[in-house]
Amino acid sequence: MLVEVVQAVVTGLLIGLTFAVLAVGFSLIWGTTGVVNIAHSAFAVLAAFLSLVASRQWGLDPIAALVGLVPLFFILGVVLHEVLIKVAARRTKELGLASMIFTFGLASFMENGMAYVWGPGPRVLNTAYTGAAVHLLGISIPLTHAYGALLGLATIGLLYGFLYHTFPGKAVRAVWQQRDGAALCGIPLHRVTALTYGVSIASASVAGVAMALIYSFTPATYMVWLVNVFLIVIVGGVGSLLGAAAAGLIVGLVSSLSVLVMPFVWTNLALFGLLILVLLVRPSGLLKR
Amino acid sequence: MSKSTRREFLTKAGIGAGVLFLPGISLTVRASSAPIKIGGSLPLTGAYADTGLWVERGYRYWAEQVNASDGLLGRPVELIIYDDASQVDRGISLLERAITVDRVDLLLGGYPGTTAAAQMAVAERYRKVYVSMGGHMASFQRGFRYSFGAPPLMGEWWYEGAFQWLESMDPAERPKRAAAITANNAVGMAVRGGLADGLARSNIELVMDELYDLPLASAEPLVQRAKALDADMFIANGFFGDGVQTIRAMRALDYNPKLILQGIGSLIPEWVQELGEDGNYVVSGTALHDKLPFKGVEELNQVARERWGLRNAPEYFLFGYAWMQALQQGVEGAGSLNQDAIAQYLRTEGIDGIAGRMVFDERGLPPAFSYTTQVINGQVELIWPLHVRTHEPVYPKPPWGR
Repeated sequence: MLVEVVQAVVTGLLIGLTFAVLAVGFSLIWGTTGVVNIAHSAFAVLAAFLSLVASRQWGLDPIAALVGLVPLFFILGVVLHEVLIKVAARRTKELGLASMIFTFGLASFMENGMAYVWGPGPRVLNTAYTGAAVHLLGISIPLTHAYGALLGLATIGLLYGFLYHTFPGKAVRAVWQQRDGAALCGIPLHRVTALTYGVSIASASVAGVAMALIYSFTPATYMVWLVNVFLIVIVGGVGSLLGAAAAGLIVGLVSSLSVLVMPFVWTNLALFGLLILVLLVRPSGLLKR
Repeated sequence: MSKSTRREFLTKAGIGAGVLFLPGISLTVRASSAPIKIGGSLPLTGAYADTGLWVERGYRYWAEQVNASDGLLGRPVELIIYDDASQVDRGISLLERAITVDRVDLLLGGYPGTTAAAQMAVAERYRKVYVSMGGHMASFQRGFRYSFGAPPLMGEWWYEGAFQWLESMDPAERPKRAAAITANNAVGMAVRGGLADGLARSNIELVMDELYDLPLASAEPLVQRAKALDADMFIANGFFGDGVQTIRAMRALDYNPKLILQGIGSLIPEWVQELGEDGNYVVSGTALHDKLPFKGVEELNQVARERWGLRNAPEYFLFGYAWMQALQQGVEGAGSLNQDAIAQYLRTEGIDGIAGRMVFDERGLPPAFSYTTQVINGQVELIWPLHVRTHEPVYPKPPWGR
């Protein structure tokens, strides 16, 4: 039984970190600009497809492919801000609601585009270490999960360092905390929000690769991933980097430990029960941003 | 009345009769050469488009064949196929449109099971014969008279062949303890429905029986539990995505049961393409297969090779063709487009097509059957029943990586 518990904890932590990296970028944009970017997980799926192409056509390991994907997605994030978000922000007073609708449209457009290019069928990212595991004291650690979690950990760590120890990162945090005050201090709001979009979508590319190491995916998978993203961001606190990381770990642990204490089918009941509890007790989420 | 008047009268009567009858004759001639319209909807875009497009190809190839020969009842056929975008409600309204606006003579079966089950009710309301896969057993237990599964895709029968194969083994060789995980939806539950009886017949104890909601966040806890319970048979009543996760988790946790039964997913080409060697030795069931020894199957394989460069005909291409073939035999057997006569013919005489010989009961179903498949060397082989076997089963499953 002990082995089962430890195995479940290890698996839960690994899966949780992978989910967390998918959620942090989403949380960052929501917290900074009030935009609920439904297309965030569609960008992650796009990264998964591109890493698959890199793997099959050029034999590149998906993690190595991130060297090209991260800058590319950073640019995509900036373009998204300049072409869509900035225009929409200028023309609507209800940016939160409007952004949900038009980023949903963007996500649908991306889904259809991916289905056109790669087909609607399921895909699996295979690597040299797929199916391999490290075995320690009766515990198995699948390498795909371990690498996914390491990617998550590294991304969250880098984001933390960026936000708390660099000037542009501090500017992003200043815009979160008091937009008008930040502007009065001479922080260029448009440049900072464009930077936030770049960083957020770049993190989605890492998340897409990390998720694809573990899960199969189709162009429509973004909706499935989005449900977890919402759950994690609301439990962790909108805009909170460490909150998203903590909530990701909690979601992973609840998912994997539940089989030991109750029918597995009740997992979602437990997760959404947790969500309701958090909303009742701490409506702003587990951690402050 | 004078003679001339009588002649005038007869002339006028003759002309009148001609005027009355000629359009009738020309109308009859026109009607007999007018195409028979067959309509319905398929998921040509959306979540099920990948499979729906193959069903459409099966339908269109059948129509091509019929039109190239003598037609159906001597008339050409015209297919009206709407795209329901993989949405059940659109499938319902488009089938109604085909019936009421296009006034089709015959209906096309829809896909997947959820749409087919809903369309069966529409077909019943308009008293039109509807040949499709159906939506598992529940959809055929509604007392409908015009719906037929020819062949059906019946979750409840999925493992029937596999259990027959297990029963044929020496009891000492059979697995002793089974662990089952099931996707918590209509398809998963239908597949799970046939388990209890099959396991009891094979004297296999069910030591774990877990349900999960899709998407499956992590298969590891379930696989770990099955391993801890020492289950030497693992039954995954799920789909491609969760099936892939399960296989990967089994390999990562070095869990090596003697037998893996997989619900849906291992028959589609992606299973082998995407999983590679890890996809081997998984056992599943089907109602139709490209290696069945029935008349017409090889011709369809040939078509798939020539037109799409495939090794064999995809399963849903075969399904599409088989459903149209059943409808055709019903129409030809009835000798008319009378829907009651077609339904009656299918129930009493049955059909003989690429899915074998089938006679349908009151529910519109043939007797329970399933062909058991196993992925061997990247190929989906038939292992049961014996008369269709294309490869010896690999049992027990070799450990991962060997």
